[in-house]
Amino acid sequence: MPIRNQIRELRAAREMTQQELADQVGVTRQTIIAMEQDKYSPSLETAFKVALALGVTIDRCFQFDPRARR
Amino acid sequence: MAPLSYREKTLYASLLAELVIYGPYFFLHRQNSVNKVAGMIAGIIILQILLQTALAILTRNRVIDERDRLIELRGYRAGYLTIATLMVIGLGLLWLHAAAGRLPVENRMMGLHFLSVFFGMLVIADITKTVTQIVSYRKAL
Repeated sequence: MPIRNQIRELRAAREMTQQELADQVGVTRQTIIAMEQDKYSPSLETAFKVALALGVTIDRCFQFDPRARR
Repeated sequence: MAPLSYREKTLYASLLAELVIYGPYFFLHRQNSVNKVAGMIAGIIILQILLQTALAILTRNRVIDERDRLIELRGYRAGYLTIATLMVIGLGLLWLHAAAGRLPVENRMMGLHFLSVFFGMLVIADITKTVTQIVSYRKAL
């Protein structure tokens, strides 16, 4: 996936569970798992919500890697 | 393996209902009356209502998000492509048989055969849709 993220690290630093983050963002826990495994790139709206829930800016949470294979 | 979400559980329930109802009808060659087709349709509706109601009662977290909707669309696309392909093949074969004069239109079972064939196409497309969605969930998308 060309979109990388630091959700797992940021969530661990805040001692937040996947379910807690999912509840705050309004998605399923399975979607958080898929994002953390770089298997799913969320919409811009969800990406902003994730960053907001983790208390960071969106570019701290998500990065675009054009060399990565989709 | 990630735990199943509510949507994923409903898909497994749908697949189970489809296989339980359609299986005996199509694979045990029981398609010999219109009443059986009607019975099968009623059966799948009743079984789906029972399974989906039980799941809705047993599942606390019933959130559906953008990924669920994306996977649903992917399933419908696969189902549409399947039914469109089967229709083209089916209509092509029908045309070939008609052109060769091998279409026994005077046979009174002909209507039932057509009903079974077209209903079978719908069933294959529906199962393709459900399986595509389940595979998409297992692959994360």
